[in-house]
Amino acid sequence: MSESEYEADVTIDSRGAGCPGPLMDLIGKIKSADAGMVFELQTTDSSSKNDVPEWVEKANHELLDIVDHDDYWSIFVKKS
Amino acid sequence: MPGYAIVLASGELEKLQAVANIASVAAASEIPIKVFATMDGLEAFDKDTVESKSFTGGPVAQAMLESEDIQVPLFTESFGRAKELGDFEVYACELSMDLLGKSLDDYVDLFDDVLGVSGFLTMAEDKQVIFV
Repeated sequence: MSESEYEADVTIDSRGAGCPGPLMDLIGKIKSADAGMVFELQTTDSSSKNDVPEWVEKANHELLDIVDHDDYWSIFVKKS
Repeated sequence: MPGYAIVLASGELEKLQAVANIASVAAASEIPIKVFATMDGLEAFDKDTVESKSFTGGPVAQAMLESEDIQVPLFTESFGRAKELGDFEVYACELSMDLLGKSLDDYVDLFDDVLGVSGFLTMAEDKQVIFV
């Protein structure tokens, strides 16, 4: 299991949810958060790997890391 | 971004779900959305229909209703979430309601108002229209 060098302030467990559930979970949490906060989005939905980074870029947040845990992914995002 | 005006005229579950997914992510991403539910697209929001999940649809719709491994929120839930997260308004077609002798109370609590065609066209003036 690979680890990330980043430590999340908020962990969002969206494992089991289909597209666009994980992305919506992230958007919902990140909206009300303070700038600089780091989120770890856990997802089993493979389309999140592409979809979330795309949204993050468009929304001007920062994609820190994507960690593959074999049975799920952790996507680390910093709110700008 | 002026956003999208979506005419939702189909009651098929896979189309309702596709609209809900795309429109909710859009609304949560600061893209304004107006949905005009009309014809069978409005009937899918009937309280009894939603309660009993008696929707029409093809194989993907069936798989969504039966899926245990992947949780897929029903379009009504996604609509509710979109309203919380963004500029997302939903309107019910007056003609469809009149034909069936219904009022907004017969539908799940997601609608901003009742609207006729000219009202919708005015609302859609600055938007790209998507017809489903």
